[in-house]
Amino acid sequence: MANKSVVILGIESSCDDTSASVIRDGVVLSNVIANQDVHTKYGGVVPELASRAHQQNIVPVVYQALAQAKVKKTDIDAIAFTRGPGLMGSLLVGTSFAKAYAMALNIPLIEVNHMHAHIMALFAKETNEDFTHPSFPFICLTVSGGHTQLVKVSDHLTLEVLGQTIDDAAGEAFDKSAKILGLDYPGGPLIDKHAQNGDPLRFKFTHPKAPDYNYSFSGFKTGILYFIRDEMEKNDQFINENLNDICASIQHTIIGILFKKLNKVVADTNIKEVGLVGGVAANSGLRDALKQQEKIGWKTHIPKFPYCTDNAAMIAITAYYKYLNNEFTNQAISAKARYAI
Amino acid sequence: MSETYDYSDLKDLPKIAEQILSLQSKSAFFIFNGPMGAGKTTLIKELCKQLGAEDLVSSPTYNIVNEYRTMEGKRICHFDFYRIEDKSELYDLGYEEYFYSDSICFVEWPEKVGNLLPSEHIAVNLSVERNRRSVSFEVINNK
Repeated sequence: MANKSVVILGIESSCDDTSASVIRDGVVLSNVIANQDVHTKYGGVVPELASRAHQQNIVPVVYQALAQAKVKKTDIDAIAFTRGPGLMGSLLVGTSFAKAYAMALNIPLIEVNHMHAHIMALFAKETNEDFTHPSFPFICLTVSGGHTQLVKVSDHLTLEVLGQTIDDAAGEAFDKSAKILGLDYPGGPLIDKHAQNGDPLRFKFTHPKAPDYNYSFSGFKTGILYFIRDEMEKNDQFINENLNDICASIQHTIIGILFKKLNKVVADTNIKEVGLVGGVAANSGLRDALKQQEKIGWKTHIPKFPYCTDNAAMIAITAYYKYLNNEFTNQAISAKARYAI
Repeated sequence: MSETYDYSDLKDLPKIAEQILSLQSKSAFFIFNGPMGAGKTTLIKELCKQLGAEDLVSSPTYNIVNEYRTMEGKRICHFDFYRIEDKSELYDLGYEEYFYSDSICFVEWPEKVGNLLPSEHIAVNLSVERNRRSVSFEVINNK
């Protein structure tokens, strides 16, 4: 048993994207996310947002994940799925598929918390060489369109949420600011792009207050809204003339809000091993800001980009550690839209 | 019949929320009209608090719907249709299971889904001008 390799198929369907991944002994062999490619191959189109899309995507995505990994169904040792948190209709597709697949193949089933999995993306490896990962305990900042959390990670399976957003997520603050500026949704990446050529200190925006290690972005969004409205009344070309500086200042402020609490956690816990995960971890300003902290003795970790946004490899990796710890579930399990770590 | 409350301070919010919740006997389906930054999520947070929801109430923009439980175990469904582009997406979401269940529903960006809203509901209208915010609400019956 000790020498036998462990192959896990992971399924992620908590929100917009359907994804399947195969890993062997923690090494990612494939990580397929439903996109136009899958559909060009198998016919059909990708709707922007639809739980039904998961039903159309899941079989082709799993087949492609197995094919890319050069793994047969019968090689799979366990199947893992996102149980929550997420959109119920979407979660049900992955949950039902995983349960049926496990039953048909007579293999164990492993349930995974999506927020746990985002953090475990830090342990994604594509080869057994050059595998760098955080050592325990570490602090992890999870930032995405729907979540903003500060988590203390004591080992692969022991996590404690220290703080989280009490209203909007950081990714939402980016996207809604972009919307106010008339940029396309989701506009987070566009803010990042314009910010590269702007002055981050040109405009000052509100830092909303939130208790303890929690975050709040609702007041920030409203602040941007009023600021833009007032400036546009004075000069209707204000956005066009200052877009880069506005974006840079918005980005600078969001990063400042995120770091204020992160710095506090690091100072209070004296844990200088820090991870940054989730879709917003793709933001170049945020990545640079984290890297800067190495100068003051932090050890920082960010997953490769494909493991930042929602993906099934992170589900499979989390499941791998649960597998090693014999944490299996049974057919009675159901999806959970609200699911705390 | 519609009632309007002006407020400039978040301290006035609990009183307004209390008034809105008193309409629960008429309908448990509440829609919130108002532009971005009008305070829709903030008001819903207060409503959930008064209903005794212990869960953290946060913006469901990304997830489309958040579910909470009141102290008595009743389900609260908090929707945000900001990202919805076409009504058909609501069918894909299985919206009937939420709308016509025994749950309290709070809906942000209801205009995105138009006539799929139940014919009977409470409309809460939020507006903001400078530092003055106002909330009005009325029982709608399109039957």
